[in-house]
Amino acid sequence: MQELFGLSMTTLMAVLLAIFLGIMVLVAFLAWRHRIMLRLGLRNIPRRPAQTALIVVGSMLSAVIITASFATGDTISSSIRNASIEGLGAVDEILSPARGAEDFGPVYVDTSRFHRLQQELADFDEVDGITAYISESAPTLNLRASLSEGQARIVAPDPATLEGFGQFTLLSGQPYPLDSLPSGSILVNEEANEDLDAQVGDTLRLFLQEGFADLRVEGIVENGGLAGVDPTILMPLSAAQEVFDKPGRINTIAISNRGGNVSGVELSHDVTTRLRVLFADPQIVQELKSLLNNPEVLTLIETHETELGVAHKEDLAALRQELVRPEVTDELVRILSDEDVRSQVMDALASGDVPHIEEKADTLFRNLSEMNVFEVKRFFLDLSDQAASGVTALFILLGLFSVGVGVLLVFLIFVMLAAARRTEMGMARAVGARQSHLVQMFIFEGTAYNLIAAAVGVIVGLGVGYLIVTATNQILSGTTDGFEFAYTFEIRSAVVAYCLGMIITFATVAVSAFRVSRMNIVEAVRGLPETITTGQEGTFTHRFLGILKAVVRPILFLKSAVKHLTGRRFGGAIRDLVFAALWMLILPWIADAAIALLRFAWPYILRGWLTVLLGILLILGAIGPWQQGAPFFIGASMIIVGIGLLLRLAVSRRPAAAPLPGLLTLVGGAILLVFGIVVGSPVDILTAAVLVIIGAAMTISAWSNRETLRPEFIDRLAFTLMGVLTLALWILPFDTLEPLIGHLSFNTEMFFISGMVMVAAAVFSLMYNADLLLKTLTFVTSGIGKLRPVLVLAVAYPMSAKFRTGLTLAMFALVIFTLMVLSIISDAFGNTLADTDSVTGHWDVEMDINPSNPIEDIEDSLDGISGLSPSDIDAVGGFVPFPVAARQAGAESPRWKGFSLQAADDAYLDATEYTFHIIADGYGPTEEDVWQAIRDNPNLAVIGYFAIGDSGQEDFGSDTSSFRIDDLSIEDETMSPVVVEVLETQTETRIDYTVIGVLELVADNAGSMIVHKQTVDDALPFPVPVTTYRFRTGPGVDAKETSRTLESSFLEHGAEAVTLKEVIDEQVAVNSAFNNLLTGFMGMGLIVGVAALGVISLRAVVERRQQVGMLRAIGYRQGMIQLSFLVEASFVSLLGVAIGVALGTILSFNLVDSFREQIPGLEFSMPWLQIGIIIGIAYLFAMITTYLPARQAGHIHPAEALRYE
Amino acid sequence: MNGNNYIISASQVFKTYTTGRVSVHALRGIDLHVQKGEMVAIMGPSGCGKTTMLNCLSGLDSTDSGEIFVESMQLHKLPDDERSDYRAQRMGFIFQLYNLLPVLTAVENVEMPLLISGVNSQVARRRSLEMLETVGLGSWTQHLPAELSGGQRQRVTIARALINNPAIIWADEPTGDLDSETTQDIMDLLLSLNRENSQTFVLVTHSREVGEMCDRIVRMRDGQIVDDGLKA
Repeated sequence: MQELFGLSMTTLMAVLLAIFLGIMVLVAFLAWRHRIMLRLGLRNIPRRPAQTALIVVGSMLSAVIITASFATGDTISSSIRNASIEGLGAVDEILSPARGAEDFGPVYVDTSRFHRLQQELADFDEVDGITAYISESAPTLNLRASLSEGQARIVAPDPATLEGFGQFTLLSGQPYPLDSLPSGSILVNEEANEDLDAQVGDTLRLFLQEGFADLRVEGIVENGGLAGVDPTILMPLSAAQEVFDKPGRINTIAISNRGGNVSGVELSHDVTTRLRVLFADPQIVQELKSLLNNPEVLTLIETHETELGVAHKEDLAALRQELVRPEVTDELVRILSDEDVRSQVMDALASGDVPHIEEKADTLFRNLSEMNVFEVKRFFLDLSDQAASGVTALFILLGLFSVGVGVLLVFLIFVMLAAARRTEMGMARAVGARQSHLVQMFIFEGTAYNLIAAAVGVIVGLGVGYLIVTATNQILSGTTDGFEFAYTFEIRSAVVAYCLGMIITFATVAVSAFRVSRMNIVEAVRGLPETITTGQEGTFTHRFLGILKAVVRPILFLKSAVKHLTGRRFGGAIRDLVFAALWMLILPWIADAAIALLRFAWPYILRGWLTVLLGILLILGAIGPWQQGAPFFIGASMIIVGIGLLLRLAVSRRPAAAPLPGLLTLVGGAILLVFGIVVGSPVDILTAAVLVIIGAAMTISAWSNRETLRPEFIDRLAFTLMGVLTLALWILPFDTLEPLIGHLSFNTEMFFISGMVMVAAAVFSLMYNADLLLKTLTFVTSGIGKLRPVLVLAVAYPMSAKFRTGLTLAMFALVIFTLMVLSIISDAFGNTLADTDSVTGHWDVEMDINPSNPIEDIEDSLDGISGLSPSDIDAVGGFVPFPVAARQAGAESPRWKGFSLQAADDAYLDATEYTFHIIADGYGPTEEDVWQAIRDNPNLAVIGYFAIGDSGQEDFGSDTSSFRIDDLSIEDETMSPVVVEVLETQTETRIDYTVIGVLELVADNAGSMIVHKQTVDDALPFPVPVTTYRFRTGPGVDAKETSRTLESSFLEHGAEAVTLKEVIDEQVAVNSAFNNLLTGFMGMGLIVGVAALGVISLRAVVERRQQVGMLRAIGYRQGMIQLSFLVEASFVSLLGVAIGVALGTILSFNLVDSFREQIPGLEFSMPWLQIGIIIGIAYLFAMITTYLPARQAGHIHPAEALRYE
Repeated sequence: MNGNNYIISASQVFKTYTTGRVSVHALRGIDLHVQKGEMVAIMGPSGCGKTTMLNCLSGLDSTDSGEIFVESMQLHKLPDDERSDYRAQRMGFIFQLYNLLPVLTAVENVEMPLLISGVNSQVARRRSLEMLETVGLGSWTQHLPAELSGGQRQRVTIARALINNPAIIWADEPTGDLDSETTQDIMDLLLSLNRENSQTFVLVTHSREVGEMCDRIVRMRDGQIVDDGLKA
């Protein structure tokens, strides 16, 4: 894999290695300076092997996820790359005629054009082979074995031009020169040998447009190169010209670049440039240059570049550079002839108001080249990288939640470690150790864990990657025609994963170490309960100076270095110089300044007003220029938190005021709230909510004073309000606030952000009201008898340790949340395909035939088929799909865009039962009316859902540059008929259609326009055969059996029939299997939650040793102690699971609800089995991990436990 | 089965701890007999085996040899669960450092032995509140241990020890962490409970004043009883 998130992997590795080494050097330097702290930090590792193992397991998750993602990407990259190189052999570029269609099939040119090209390239050293051939396909039958292949590929090169392409090699290893084939003989490749059981001496019958040709198999050759990887028949050019009746004609030219099969691709750029220059019309190039070299167009292109990926960006930048040169350069021709660049340039033009330039450019581009030059090998190698990069990015993104909970775990671990060593840390501080020394001690220990954890993580990640690849092969086994991903990984990826895993964990360790090292020394030494250490706020001047110092930090370092030097303190001088150099790398400098800025602002953020202000700014940006949902919701949450903080401050600090204004505000807010709910006005509800909060705060403030209102109560009130309101905001259906803020777009990151915020808000609210939960449980369990003390204690302990319980809850909840959303959404989408009739238009069987051998009359042909009675088929209809260009008449952009046409016959239009998303005014009201209208008036058409402007087709993998009707929205319920101009590009034939309906999204032709075939037959200069037939079987008829009968009956037409339901079921099964795979991958985060419970339980056994002794003394049995620990773990894990399930369900419900209008059949449902499995696995592993500590606790000897402090 | 009326009867009890290569002979042939309703103080220098003896007699710890009868039962021969049940129903414990559960309120701490014994929770709560009232903590029932003073915590411990109306209360340095005034209060409380309920108290203490308030003082040295406090 070469790139990830647009960054070169080599650069990524270099940067990460540099950071990693920088960290190691820094840690080593600190260790050298403070060896005692190093010893103190490291001695803890071997002390508790079980705890160390759990910490390593918990900390390795980032590395596991990153490594598994990379290994999967590397495997995909290398597999596609190897398959491409093996399949293409020496072929690097393929040329095909761009103009001059004579019939419905490949475009042919005279062989003289090839000979001219040979001469033109005679002095061009970069090419070592050029061959011309016919590339066709035909239905083929092995007469001996009675096996057929509907679309066997026929490749017929001129044997005299095969130099540079290697030789065809028989399976025995012997080369077989094509020109030595006897007349009427052919070679077949391994694939054809397998599919048709074609043996030497067999006769293969090729069904042609008129008649057939019987050819004898002379030999079987290895796959690859011109022999291809699909079932292929090889024969000399002259023989094919005779068979296909194309004397003196060819349709393809292949080029082999100098060098081997792999290295040749390096020359692809030069060879393509040369070829494109040869095929380009100089006059058109000049005209295009003049047209595009205009400031307005150049600005449009430059603006458009910012929206593109790296490769396209570079091409467009190069184009701008070449356009402004005085002369026409070869590079300009190469770029202009590139179809991708053309498409981007046209998109850039469409984004501006230059319709005349757009139309002219479109025409010029289409006539620019005589032949299309396809860098086929470069294309597949790039594709392998893009696929790998995409899959890796997907896995990393999906793994982000797990990485997030991994970070929480590391933080939790350090909080626990600090709690365990509080007394000794207090002692160390008491005898003179600085806070920085304690930070270093934890960093040394954490770094040691990280180094091990990242290494273990990489090894485990490689194993997980192997499992993913194996599972993928299993899932795709029925669909990839024997292609399998061969597991591999690059050392570079392992290095990147190791460094990244290590850096993420190190950063967490550093922050955690800083947090836990803050303590009250007396409390720590005496083992008193910890009070919150908030640290000194510092004066305004002090904090402001902090910013200034950060800005000039390198100078301060240098100054300090000079001071150290003059004092002959060389160690200090070296340290300062190293830091000065580090700061010059800019990133540390920026981070330093950002921290100083945050320190300056922090008091105001805590007081609330700055939080509110920042929230307002975010909202203004979100509903203004950005039009994004995520910043809006984050901003709104910040306002809620800010108001909560402000109120907290007001209640706790303000002197008592008169209660009336507060009471009035509260009552007014309540009335408005009721009104808002009744009329369903979000604006009123929001305003009322704010008034109620303010009113409540004012009333409480007035009726109480600081003496009677305990700070804990104020905190509880404020933080509960923040948590509950934030949660309420995020669980609102997505469109609730639309009347207020308009339509905002929501991207994938919303899933991650909403998960984090919702879980945090829920956990926050819960933990601040833990005692209520405890009281409820106490009440509920009052009749349980002897189990009651176990239950009460099992809840009381976690609820008293709010921080660690909250973190563990958050970990469980986050992971379960993601798994729930993934399961419910994929289940809901899977269900949409359950109504197969909506997907297929109520057709049961589809049969493709070879266009070179069409069926005259399908109805007649069905009559004579044995094993098929007339009642077996209720309806049959046919269509021919082919690519066209399309544009909307009268639209702003005159540009032609790619689209797909399905030209259907009368029978098809008569029987099809696709349903419509929108029906044009005057053409309804029923579906039948629409289809009838098309039959009556052939210039009417219906169009697929993806042609709607805002259908979000890019989300479904469709090309964004394909045709759309701009002024039509998915929310429209009616439409006026729209005139669409269609252009058949080979013949430049134009047909106008009036679109009178839009098909539903689930229809299997959502990306096409269905028209009456008569219009195509009338307009094109050659007959257009039906290539696809669809059949509706009669009641009780076995569609599978019917498809088999049809396929064998229409063998000579190259028939390949499938049962549509089976195709859909297969697709659903593959989707579901992939979803399960992703669920499993994301489920790895559960390891962290489980490890967290393990760490907490282990720690609890140590912390509560004496209490356990006392409980045993007053009569707790061993089993009760053990049960108490297990119930405690159950309580935490199940509460986390419950939060995750509840929030995941709510978000999924909102997601499904927001898609429901667009996708018929999309219904919210709970996949109970899958959810049960997820919960069961989470709980089971939580119990397994807690069992050992629980057992350990149960075996604590009471006398020993009570004897020691 | 011993034939006397002693509630606690121990003879020739030996106990040795082995820590690594070091063996500590904590009890070396202890003989002790305690009458029902008696309040006995065990005194001696640090490390003489006072706490070990208390733990062994109460069944919290095992012995190497010797016989111990508590209410005519040999606790060491009972399975662990039955021994636990016996402690829950017939014994109460008071510790120097209170050993209250920090996550439960005063009343919840007190009612814990009753809940363990399977008493109905409402009854347990009522009795616990009454007991806290008895020990003078009627206004502090809903406070967590961290919110109470040392004396108050010890009162909660006493309430917890007495809540199941035990036959024997074992107290290990019950006043060791308290000032003299609070010590006097606590001892007054224990003495009055002892007199009112005729419960047996075995106290380990360093304090001569505390010892002198008891019915008799058993003195120990080097794992042996050097004076059982009985008049010859």
